[in-house]
Amino acid sequence: MSWYRSKLERDLKRWQAAGWVTPDGVGAIRRDLDQNKSAFAAAPVLAVLGAVLFGFAVMSFVAAHWTGMSKLARLALLIGALWACYGGAALLFQRQLAAFAHAAVLGGIAVYGASIMLIAQMYHMEGNPADAVLLWALGALLGAVLASSPAALAATFVLLTVWCSWERIASESALYTFLVPWAGAALTAAWLRWRPGGHLAALSLALWIVPLGFLVWGHHAHWLVVGIGGAVAAAAALWGRAIDRHLPLSAVLFAYGLAVTYAGLFILQFLDDGRWFLGGTDSAPVLRLLLLAILSLVLLLGAMVWALNADNRPALWLAYTALALEIFTLYVRTFGSLLNTSLFFLVAALIVSALAWFAYRLHRSKTATEAAT
Amino acid sequence: MTLSAKRMARALALLALIQTGVLAAMVFHRMRLLTTGREITLPIIPVDPRDLFRGEYVELGYAVGRVPARLLEGPPPSPNTPFYVTLEKAQDDTWAPIKLSRDKPQEIGPDRIVLKGRSRFNRLALDASDPNAVNSVRYGIEQYFVPQGEGPRLEALARDKKLAALIAVDGSGNAAIKGILIDGRLQYEEPLL
Repeated sequence: MSWYRSKLERDLKRWQAAGWVTPDGVGAIRRDLDQNKSAFAAAPVLAVLGAVLFGFAVMSFVAAHWTGMSKLARLALLIGALWACYGGAALLFQRQLAAFAHAAVLGGIAVYGASIMLIAQMYHMEGNPADAVLLWALGALLGAVLASSPAALAATFVLLTVWCSWERIASESALYTFLVPWAGAALTAAWLRWRPGGHLAALSLALWIVPLGFLVWGHHAHWLVVGIGGAVAAAAALWGRAIDRHLPLSAVLFAYGLAVTYAGLFILQFLDDGRWFLGGTDSAPVLRLLLLAILSLVLLLGAMVWALNADNRPALWLAYTALALEIFTLYVRTFGSLLNTSLFFLVAALIVSALAWFAYRLHRSKTATEAAT
Repeated sequence: MTLSAKRMARALALLALIQTGVLAAMVFHRMRLLTTGREITLPIIPVDPRDLFRGEYVELGYAVGRVPARLLEGPPPSPNTPFYVTLEKAQDDTWAPIKLSRDKPQEIGPDRIVLKGRSRFNRLALDASDPNAVNSVRYGIEQYFVPQGEGPRLEALARDKKLAALIAVDGSGNAAIKGILIDGRLQYEEPLL
């Protein structure tokens, strides 16, 4: 029994005892639950897992350095496996076993990627290894479009992110070309109406934006990252209603904007100056860190208030986590130089107490307005 | 068969066809390079003279892989992008780099050939005016996978002999190992399929 179901069963008993729900109503609720049983069944999950394992099996072929076969036999094996996967998928779609069919599509995309690597190895093609990952990602995107396959789309986002990181490390450039295949994949997610795909699109874009600060404008453009994230979060907070009239996205946009903003601030505070411990006689970095830390704390507290008001749980948890990370890193960075330990804990205690007081006031005013209406 | 299943089968066939096409293009491109590419012979610098063919693959070194930084002409190439090295054949039939450039030079004669290369460390040596600075360049011919079962034979032949690689170069400067020469004689040729 699911967690939700067992909780609901407990509540139903209580509500029935209190006389709020009739026995007929309880029966109707149970029947409704049974009918709308979650699609998260074991079979499709295992089928996708099987496809992933199949992919790994093919990949380990590379490591095993397949012996004894001529190049032609190897090519025939690869192409044969590719067609077998997609043929199997077509057969499974025809039998209306969509979950298994999608697993077969994912298997085909794994074979395609392995084939690129194996052919490159067979013919000693060295080139730029990241290009092979891009070629694979584009094949996966094509699979997502043609087979309407969410699993293939998920693979596309992962592969695009791998390609982007690899190419960026090697070329030390911003790689704006990433945005082209990314936009294609994001549009596919919208076209498939696949919500997790939207999250993957946002996540992969965030992973593209955050390192941007290290790659453009002399490698110190972290304010740009803070600006982009802040603009997204502010727009989601200010025009949330207008956005939600078209698509209920403002809560998610706010959470991702917040994450990007704080990532930028974190880099500005703790990573960009290249020094782990603050010390010495130079007070400028200390002042800079202090101002940035105050700005970060104020922004995070503001985000928390907004998230509490808007009942945006992901953003609230994100802000909590960021606050904990901020305080912890500040502690490590300033230990023994700016503040001593007891003073640090005093400040932290004051902040948390203020937060608790604020949350209490907010809660009370909310209940007061609810009671009044 | 329902209509949508039929449509899906067609879409999957198209997917398989396109992906097969990409893989076939990779193979075809390589086969064309090996069959129609211009042939040059480059002496191999043994990294470890003994046991050269004993492992599954060997790392081959070439004199033309060391390109002095002062040979750079024109704008420097961006990190992790290929560039071009022009080789010239001397009187004794050995090839040596004479120019490194970001854009592909047009000058190709019987004694000149252009290879596409990448820096081993992603970027080139920064100071082109330093007469001692040397770029370590890879042309895609540095890894040699020892053909199955050929290791001991090549190993025995290669002992204390002069080794060279037969390289095929296409019009775009792509290079591939076509065969291995021992004391000037072709002892192993890479099969196409």
